[in-house]
Amino acid sequence: MLENAHWIALLPLIASVIILLGSREDTEKSRLPWLGIAVMGWCLLHSLCLLGQAVAGKLEEPFYRTLPWFRFGAYEMTLGVLIDGTAAFMLCVVTLVSFLVQVYSLGYMHGDPRFKRYYAYLSFFTASMLGLVITSSLFIFFACWELVGVSSYLLIGFWFEKDAPAYAGKKAFITTKLGDLGFYAGLLLLFAYTGTFDLRLLPTHFAMGPEHMPEWVPAAVGLLLLFGAAGKSAQVPLFVWLPDAMEGPTPVSALIHAATMVAAGVYLVARTYFVYQASPLAMDAVAWTGLVTAMMAATMAVAVYDIKRVLAFSTVSQLGFMMMALGVGGYTSGMFHLTTHAFFKALLFLGAGSVIHAVHTNDMRQMGGLSKKMPATFITMVIGTLAIAGFPWAFSGWYSKEAILHDVYLRSPLMWGLALATAALTCFYMFRLVFMTFLGPSRDHPRWEHAGESPSVMTVPLWVLAGLSVFSGMLLEHGGLFARLVHAGGGEAESAGLAAAPHWLGWAAVGAFAAGLAAAWRLYGEGDFALASSLKNNLQPLFTVLEERYGFDRFFLWLVRLSDSLAAALHWLDDHLLDALFVDGWGLLTRALAEIHGFFDDFFVDGAVDGVGGVTRDAGGALSRLVRGQTQEYLLYVALAVSLFATFIMAR
Amino acid sequence: MGILSLVTFLPLLGALILLFIPKEDKTATRAVGVGAALLTFLVSLLTLRSFDPSLSAPEGLAMQMVERFSWIPSFSIHYHLGVDGLSLPIVLLTTLLSVCAAVYSMNIEVRVKEFYFWLLLLEVGMTGVFVSLDLFLFYVFWELTLVPMYFLIGIWGGPKKEYAAIKFFLFTLFGSVFMLLGILALFFASNPHSFDMLELARSHGAFGREFQIIVFLAFYLGFAVKVPAFPFHTWLPLAHVEAPTGVSVILAGVLLKMGVYGLLRVCYTILPAGYEWFLPFLVIIAFINIVYGALCAMAQTDMKKMVAYSSINHMGYALLGMAAVSPTGFSGASLQMITHGLITGALFLLVGVIYDRAHTRDISAFGGLGAKVPLYAGLMSLTCFASLGLPGLAGFISEFLCFLGAFPVWKLYTSLSVIGILITAAFFLRMIQKVFLGPLNEKWASLSDMNARELVSVLPLTVLTVLFGLWPSLILDLMNPTLEALAKLFPGMFQLVR
Repeated sequence: MLENAHWIALLPLIASVIILLGSREDTEKSRLPWLGIAVMGWCLLHSLCLLGQAVAGKLEEPFYRTLPWFRFGAYEMTLGVLIDGTAAFMLCVVTLVSFLVQVYSLGYMHGDPRFKRYYAYLSFFTASMLGLVITSSLFIFFACWELVGVSSYLLIGFWFEKDAPAYAGKKAFITTKLGDLGFYAGLLLLFAYTGTFDLRLLPTHFAMGPEHMPEWVPAAVGLLLLFGAAGKSAQVPLFVWLPDAMEGPTPVSALIHAATMVAAGVYLVARTYFVYQASPLAMDAVAWTGLVTAMMAATMAVAVYDIKRVLAFSTVSQLGFMMMALGVGGYTSGMFHLTTHAFFKALLFLGAGSVIHAVHTNDMRQMGGLSKKMPATFITMVIGTLAIAGFPWAFSGWYSKEAILHDVYLRSPLMWGLALATAALTCFYMFRLVFMTFLGPSRDHPRWEHAGESPSVMTVPLWVLAGLSVFSGMLLEHGGLFARLVHAGGGEAESAGLAAAPHWLGWAAVGAFAAGLAAAWRLYGEGDFALASSLKNNLQPLFTVLEERYGFDRFFLWLVRLSDSLAAALHWLDDHLLDALFVDGWGLLTRALAEIHGFFDDFFVDGAVDGVGGVTRDAGGALSRLVRGQTQEYLLYVALAVSLFATFIMAR
Repeated sequence: MGILSLVTFLPLLGALILLFIPKEDKTATRAVGVGAALLTFLVSLLTLRSFDPSLSAPEGLAMQMVERFSWIPSFSIHYHLGVDGLSLPIVLLTTLLSVCAAVYSMNIEVRVKEFYFWLLLLEVGMTGVFVSLDLFLFYVFWELTLVPMYFLIGIWGGPKKEYAAIKFFLFTLFGSVFMLLGILALFFASNPHSFDMLELARSHGAFGREFQIIVFLAFYLGFAVKVPAFPFHTWLPLAHVEAPTGVSVILAGVLLKMGVYGLLRVCYTILPAGYEWFLPFLVIIAFINIVYGALCAMAQTDMKKMVAYSSINHMGYALLGMAAVSPTGFSGASLQMITHGLITGALFLLVGVIYDRAHTRDISAFGGLGAKVPLYAGLMSLTCFASLGLPGLAGFISEFLCFLGAFPVWKLYTSLSVIGILITAAFFLRMIQKVFLGPLNEKWASLSDMNARELVSVLPLTVLTVLFGLWPSLILDLMNPTLEALAKLFPGMFQLVR
């Protein structure tokens, strides 16, 4: 069972290659997608068995197997698996969501010309994520992390004939890649001080304290890894890619938002928790990053009308909650929320997909009154909303969010207050979504007329997820099951704090839920939204800030433009200074020197030679006139010469 | 005749046979050209059978398949060949890329016979550089690569071919003149006078530090032009762009490696004090190559020029690894040479594929080709991802090892160099987006996908890129013992890095 765990990651990978290369034609009639679904079904069953082992207590000591991969210097890189309770849970979450998404896609992607390729990408995406979850080496973790990035690029830009998806895919890849630089540098630093990437050996290195490695190292490693996690998990300031990632097919959004990709960042912090335990600074950074992200995203969710964008911002916000939990020491509550969130967020996205499938628009202002047309979607969506909003003592979101708020309160009541306000806001914007979409009169009648319930291949996954959204919280909370299986290694603070927290915390959360619901009903419960629009008009500057996403997009665009100009400037220098001046310039200088040299040669040296020659020739010419071959003239010259000579001698 | 001589001179035999084929018979000419390259490659694979990676010598330089006999006794010049884990993979890369270039170039129609003659002669020179262990012989082979390359660019090149050819020729000659001076200085400074690389390496202690630094700089000029290291890189974009596709492959895939190889084989082993003195500069140059090369690539609109500048960036990684003077760094640098050869070789071939059809390489002239030519789009994207260092493909491992090796020693410059990875990703993705994604540009509605000749030349490189990415020990195991020995060659030296 455990010995074969690596196949959970490898089989989907193999399946994706077979699906991609298996047959030449890429038609909807292809049977190959079923291979992907079957493999994922097997992975799901296997993961559930692993979880069963964990529940049975067989994973008290994490399962760990490695085999050598390649050597460099004195080091050996290994391939291996490390499965503890956290990993077992993650495996179940990922395989379950992926399985349901793949089933759902049979309906949603029906008739797409690249149906087969879509399933190949889905399998590859899931395989990368599963590899990341299961691996025992931080190096492989990073490798899978990058593969997750490239799969998201392929899937977000799946409809690449349109400009927007192509652009969104690139934006997602580059933004997360920016975060990856932090991860990359963190790996370099970590290896420089420990000499290993093995997740089982690393904790001891970090637990040994300041005499083993300088104190700034855990802090720096933690911050760098956090930056990487911020990219994948869409935390401030790197969240900008996630709202645009909506351009991909909706099931893909569900997969990204629930189980793969964005969960990876949170999982990274959890997997490297020993680093943060060694550095309070890095821990605080995680907490505040999470809180700021949660708040900003929740406010931004209020100002958008695209149904998927509301959900996207809610994901960012919920991820912030998870990060915050990890940052305040709530390892268990953070991972708990990750699990429950995976269920209700997948549900919400698939539900939104069902709506979009029916009305062919993302804009909530053109919806309304859909509850009558698509009851199954409506009911499951309401369940998902109740779960994410934290309907007290019932739905899964209540249990996990309550656990987080509890942990946060123990750390800092100020943070708790801000987090509670964010929770109220969550409730508000989620019910705003439900009211605008399903209740009231239909605002676009032709669309409403046309709308109908989706096929059962799409609604059955919704019901499964709805069931989990309701009961998973209760089940996992029951008898402290989750906390027993999923906990941080090393010091354990949270169970000790249980008694210390005041009892009214839960009631405060109930209050937040009620306030959010009441506000949403007041503003959006009635059909015409009169109050909402007048409020919006009065607060226009605020809304502008929110719609522009606090200027983060503009900042990154500016950064891109800056690097483009820098690139252009450097290239100009390369061409005109380095090459033209120094290289061609040297060439020209040499040629000029050669010209001067040539001129000198021609004019002076050659000139002198020619001059001598010319004088000689002229002299010769003059002389030649004297010499005309007549003997009597020669005799005359001789006579003249002799007489001159004689005169000269006699004169002495 | 030893196997190394056979590998080195088989292409020459092919070139000589070509001379007896009538000019008009293009088919036979191509057959002989490709056949000779292929045969050479197969024979070079045989060296793997007799090569023992774990062999080591007390001095650290364990050469295998050595051939040594006196050539010009009065100057103690020897015909001395041999390979170790550093050179053997590059020799195999050379013979492989020559086959790919020869196959791809089967579409050349003008002066076919001359083309293959020069191509095979070029292969002799390149292989010779990597197997010779006598500096004089090394120099002869080094210069031998120059003339064929000059004609290959100058005759079959693009619009500015004459300018590019002369620039390449003069630039390289400028460097190698200094190298010749360095070789002569070593000859006269050694006692007894010798051109033998191994003997010179053993007697490096006899050379004073100042002498080593000066001679190092002389050699460095020769090698830096080839790498090319900033600021001696400006010949490269021009030569790569103007050269015909097959020749660009050789240029990027093999000729650049002569520089990196020379720095390790000659500068490092014979002039360690000079190498050590230069390290702080080397790491800065590596950083500039990485970031500056990547930024320049980002500014390009011509696909081929972009790939050319990306080579400057990639060779920067190799320089970074070499500046580490550690087994990890050297492994990274050596692996980077191989992976860059495979990946960039494939990239140049693929750029050639589209240029042959569209007669333009302007990135913004295309658009939406992804659905039109899926095979081409898939291979091109895969290769671009390999080049930007995607895990699972060969470039990732080599890049990472370079960084990993250099980081403990040069924290600042290594950290800054990481930015290069992002820029590389940015320009490759932009290229993919503009060429393959978005709505189809109707101008290219009748574009055809890759044909058999193109696939045969590209696929071996793609397969190896994936194979080495998943299973790097296939090649690392060949190199590691040698590189480990190299890194530990001078236990007392390199205070900077130890």
